[in-house]
Amino acid sequence: MERAYRRLDPKRVVFTALLLAVCLSIPRLTDSYMLRVFNIAWITCLCVLSNYVLLGMCGQNSFAQAGLWGVGAYITANVVMKLGWPPLLALLLAGLGTGLLAFVLGFAFFRLRHYYFTFASVGLMTILNGLFMNWTPFTGGALGISNVPSFSLGSFVVNTEEANYFFIFLIFVIAYLLIKKLYHSPLGRSFMAIRDNEMAANCLGINSLLTKSIAFGITGILCGVAGALYAFLAGYLSYQTFTYQQSTMYLIMVMLGGTSAPSGAVIGTMIISLLQEWVRPLQNYMQFFYGLGIVLLMIVQPEGILGGGRALYEKWHSRKRPASTVAK
Amino acid sequence: MNLQLLVSGIAMGFIYAMVSMGMVLIFRAVNIVNFAQGEFLMFGGYLCYMFNRQLHLPIVPALLLAALAMGVVGVIFMFTSYWPLRNAQIRAIVVSAMGASIVFKEGARLIWGSIPVTVDRVVKGTAVIANTAVVQWQNIAIIGISFILILFVYLLLERTFIGHIMQATAQDRYMASLVGIPVVFSIALTFALSAMLTGIGGGLLAPLFFLNNTMGYTTNAKAFAAVVIGGFGSVPGAVIGGLLVGLIEAFGGAYISTTYQLVIIYVVLVFFLMFRPQGIFGTRIQEKA
Repeated sequence: MERAYRRLDPKRVVFTALLLAVCLSIPRLTDSYMLRVFNIAWITCLCVLSNYVLLGMCGQNSFAQAGLWGVGAYITANVVMKLGWPPLLALLLAGLGTGLLAFVLGFAFFRLRHYYFTFASVGLMTILNGLFMNWTPFTGGALGISNVPSFSLGSFVVNTEEANYFFIFLIFVIAYLLIKKLYHSPLGRSFMAIRDNEMAANCLGINSLLTKSIAFGITGILCGVAGALYAFLAGYLSYQTFTYQQSTMYLIMVMLGGTSAPSGAVIGTMIISLLQEWVRPLQNYMQFFYGLGIVLLMIVQPEGILGGGRALYEKWHSRKRPASTVAK
Repeated sequence: MNLQLLVSGIAMGFIYAMVSMGMVLIFRAVNIVNFAQGEFLMFGGYLCYMFNRQLHLPIVPALLLAALAMGVVGVIFMFTSYWPLRNAQIRAIVVSAMGASIVFKEGARLIWGSIPVTVDRVVKGTAVIANTAVVQWQNIAIIGISFILILFVYLLLERTFIGHIMQATAQDRYMASLVGIPVVFSIALTFALSAMLTGIGGGLLAPLFFLNNTMGYTTNAKAFAAVVIGGFGSVPGAVIGGLLVGLIEAFGGAYISTTYQLVIIYVVLVFFLMFRPQGIFGTRIQEKA
């Protein structure tokens, strides 16, 4: 009953419609260079959303996302170019294959807790990057893979920047809604139980090893799909894209936005992706101030922008209704 | 050939031991893995370059000055990216350390440029051991100097009053403050010591490999591996782990593949995590609810 009411809340509907309108009109408002930036940003959003599931919901910090992203991209390139299968199948295979890989590895890695899992994920990232660089038959080695064809479905080919935008945005919206759904599902609740207290969650009958592996598997699926989209969009894959630095960037993005809701992941990604473009003239000093900004943000608002916004909102509300009922 | 590899592997191992020992010191003091430890090595190396090549001091005073400067850098690092966040979630501190590592990296690039630089050797020339192996004296100097420094820090921690203060703070900060230990001072000292130790490593490493501002990441990755292999939070473990990583790197690079060096180290690390997660020297800690 309450949820049905929330869905029909007019403020919410108007806000969502406005946001959608803005997102859909972006291709009309920007040139093709900025459109490419937006395309990459939406793809990055998928990876950062996966970080939200793993870190924000399940409380596990991983640095392997960029590696899984790469696995998805290379699977796509191989399936489309060597096997000649249709791109849609490649997209699905990339998602499922990467998800399965992450799920199976999760069983091994989640025997380790907290820091140790994080280290294992750094290890996975390093190993994957080493494979991308050196395993020539699958990844093209240091030369990479070029001329990956664009996405197509039957006679419909997504080859312009604008078509790519709508295609990527559609997939992003689907993923976002599914994650929203996950948040309210029993599985999502068990993720959060593990995040808050793993031992208590075990006592409630949650199989924490399996559940955490599922969370890592979901991470894999999201990153794999993002990788496939990247392969279709960029057409060229190089091991230099899928690095540990990229993974740290994802963590920074999700922390900047805030880990309390999936919208935090989107906010953080958009801010960092666009900021990098807008201050490009200052390139030489940009990275320096970027680092400084991260430290400052963590000091001022460790909960990210969402946490800061929420605190402001609550402050404003309590000012509107002075606490006159409190006995003195 | 093997003897040569052994010496250079041990020398590199001691450098990693200094980095991972610095990491362990900070971990024990504040229970945080410092993601900017590799940057300390890079920054220390660059400071040494500044004193040695830009201000034309001999290498030994340059190393000492660089170490002192790194001590200050460590304290600044602690007060800017750890202390304001001490009550926040651990992941916020991890991210702030990452931000700090970007600041170090880019700061070094803005100050000293992005062209790789080097410093003078402590001891020049090469030595011939057992009639066959040609070994650079710098390698032997690294082994000697780092061994003395590591021993010094170990004794400082275990045998002196100030070391006991630091250990007490590491074990229970609240209790330490109750018995009158100045906790802030003690933690700052730990950070300074950690940065000094790692920074000298940078100065010693620079003549063998050119310094560049992006070397922090690989160093950090190897130091992680060393810390976990040795046993998390154990000081002797960090040293043994560092040596192991150095040797694996040298022999793996020579006999298997140089391009897979980091991969080999991490495969060993993952095996360790699977079969002995507490590392060589670590003890399994019972989890508390």
